[in-house]
Amino acid sequence: MSVEIEFDSSWQDDFLHRIDNDGPWGNWELFKLAIGVEKHLVIPEFEGLQAPNHLANLTPLPHQLETAKQVIENMNGKAILADEVGLGKTIEAGLILKEYMIRGLVKKVLILVPASLVTQWAIELNSKFFIPAITQRKSYVWEQCDVVVSSIDTAKRNPHRDIIYQQDYDLIIIDEAHKLKNNKTKNYEFVQNLKKKFCLLLTATPIQNRIEEIFNLVSLLKPGHLGSETAFYEKYKRDSRSLNDDEHLKELVNKVMIRNRRADTGIEWTKRHVETIPIEFTQPEKELYMSITDLKSEGDWVQTSSFSVMTLQREACSSREAVFYTLKNMLQKKENPTQAFEEQIQYLIKKVEAVQQNSKAEKALELIQKVNDKVIIFTEYRATQLYLQWYLKQHGISSVPFRGGFKRGKKDWMRELFQKHAQVLIATEAGGEGINLQFCNHIINFDLPWNPMRLEQRIGRIHRLGQEKDVMIYNFAIKNTVEEHILKLLYEKIHLFEKVIGELDDILTKLEFGNIEDHLIDIFGQSASEGEMRIKMENLSSMIEFAESMKKGDSHAAAGNS
Amino acid sequence: MQQQEIHSFLLNYFKANDCPIIENKPGYLTVQLTIELDKALMNRPFYWHYLEKTGGIPNPMKLTFITNQKAAPENMRGEIIHFGSPRLHQIFESTKNLASYIRLYENHQNGTSQTPLMPWLCMNVKISYQCDRKRDIFKSIGLQLINGQMVVDFHDRLQKIPLTPKIPDYSFTLSPLVKPKSGMSRIENYLKSMIEDDDHSWADEARKRWEQDLRLLDHFYEDAEEESESYETEKQALKEQYEPKINISFINGGLFYLTEKAI
Repeated sequence: MSVEIEFDSSWQDDFLHRIDNDGPWGNWELFKLAIGVEKHLVIPEFEGLQAPNHLANLTPLPHQLETAKQVIENMNGKAILADEVGLGKTIEAGLILKEYMIRGLVKKVLILVPASLVTQWAIELNSKFFIPAITQRKSYVWEQCDVVVSSIDTAKRNPHRDIIYQQDYDLIIIDEAHKLKNNKTKNYEFVQNLKKKFCLLLTATPIQNRIEEIFNLVSLLKPGHLGSETAFYEKYKRDSRSLNDDEHLKELVNKVMIRNRRADTGIEWTKRHVETIPIEFTQPEKELYMSITDLKSEGDWVQTSSFSVMTLQREACSSREAVFYTLKNMLQKKENPTQAFEEQIQYLIKKVEAVQQNSKAEKALELIQKVNDKVIIFTEYRATQLYLQWYLKQHGISSVPFRGGFKRGKKDWMRELFQKHAQVLIATEAGGEGINLQFCNHIINFDLPWNPMRLEQRIGRIHRLGQEKDVMIYNFAIKNTVEEHILKLLYEKIHLFEKVIGELDDILTKLEFGNIEDHLIDIFGQSASEGEMRIKMENLSSMIEFAESMKKGDSHAAAGNS
Repeated sequence: MQQQEIHSFLLNYFKANDCPIIENKPGYLTVQLTIELDKALMNRPFYWHYLEKTGGIPNPMKLTFITNQKAAPENMRGEIIHFGSPRLHQIFESTKNLASYIRLYENHQNGTSQTPLMPWLCMNVKISYQCDRKRDIFKSIGLQLINGQMVVDFHDRLQKIPLTPKIPDYSFTLSPLVKPKSGMSRIENYLKSMIEDDDHSWADEARKRWEQDLRLLDHFYEDAEEESESYETEKQALKEQYEPKINISFINGGLFYLTEKAI
């Protein structure tokens, strides 16, 4: 046998010393108790989970226990936990961490999460798992505390970075790891250089995009698992989406990834009710929208950027404030603007000024009053967010803003304010991820994101474990605008809102034609006529339907757990 | 550990540390800490430092432990204790620290006849097999220091023998022929040979996993032209993750003087 045996002999001198000095000797009762304790703490088997016996405040769900067991016994403690949103990835990670700590395999732990989740992680680890996790606030914390929760943006910066690299971490947990899909970023490089003895990457959207992203994520966790970079790209095209079609690759990925789906967990979920609320523009609003749309066919500056016309169109559907803000920016950023350009902008600003009311805001107010409960409003635009806050206040409704850019403490505070004092939370897109608001069950999509995954992320904030009521989703769409087209596609054609995230994932990966958002930009930006646009939309939706029917064919086999 | 076991463990622990038990009812337990235990458990060094400097009257804390919320009165204030609670594990640690070494004599009933007592060295250890997983084995070994007899499950056998910290009347101890120091290495060698006879396929499998991951890692970095720092880091991480190790750690032990027929 060739295993080295380490014999702890540090106690021997002490013992001999006491023999020579005739004591002091311990108490027999305590001696026996110590043996009793040790017999309880001894873990006789390599297999199985000890953690549940230690967790009086938590009853893990079967799929969470199974996941923890899998990771420890079959994945050697390195895994991507990719459950659908709201199935409790945090609980799974906590179980694994606790198990390793009980077994004495892990002592020093680094947990990197989005800034808005730092406090929440620390609270959950402390209250549910009795793990003394500390949020990073001072730089000495890295050295002095065993379990530290921090945002990756703090950790990657000096002086923290250097201190972190000197620590000997046993386990590294990274939440929202899909943000590490690009191996050219500072964050990626930072994580790559961390020593990862055991490592958990948590993400809800692992195979959302290109095969390249999968390669980067897996290589972060287990370099070489998918081969070297050159070998990998010789075999698979960089931007291909053939993950599901390649059985071998799928199998490889499933060796390091666990993905539980709602449908498989057997948990009763509350329902989702989706209501589309069509809204009519007022005359001035319509005129603003029309004059933006007209830009497509005139002017030199817009030709170069159909994208900005579309942005303006979408903003016009949200609020005049959003349009104004963008116009002002365009004017400021343009170097040596031509007279025609300035005139065009001024013309539009006039149109903006003519708008006196916001039809959507009025509808939102009416709805909030009718609901008479907590409501989250999502908008894509900060200007709209500010406007709405002002507007609601005029009508005696308290609201709090929420943005991705808020510091951690402010995010926690806003969440708390919303829970305890305010009726409405107004969040911009960047604020959509990373907070859990299951005490609320009404969402108003004031305007719609064009990326369906982002929509799912929004809904996932409230439709998750712990939500006790049915979830109400209200989609606002202005009639006869891009917005209505989008909604028709996302809602009526592909029944997006009724799907759960896993299905959508599958469908989108089946579609080998690129990002939906890119397609939409193409359709709305490049179509010369209404007719062309309609035909392109028809094409897109039938492709999605086709992918969907293919998916039904092979049911859950796609990207399923092995 | 069931809640009832935890309750009686706590009771025994505080009794053994001479803490007055103020209340001991189903579901909860209130104890008055001694100064020593307050210092050991309550983590308030500044208070004690201040008190010692100013010469004030020490006021160690009272603690209430709720071991069964259903049985304890409603609105009972106290610490809820279960197998995973940090407080319990702190007390576990303290228990081990307070009684690492012991010396006891058999409290025999041989009346006035002169009774010789044999010296025994006892060692209680935890053996851990560790790779990316871990399992433990508890071992209690006794070594008679005159004839070198080795006994396993020694601690269990001691339970049947009445023991006392003072040498009983009309008793005398025999001097060990085996010195305690060499006794310890005999036990160490015995443990090692026992371990060697065990099945260690777990270690072979861990090495296989290690080699496999190492191959993947080499492959991943084979295109890199210069020695990459992250390669070395990853390599080290794999070693720490998989390398099979066996640790023998000491729980407690001591000298026991027992009559000839005791074991």
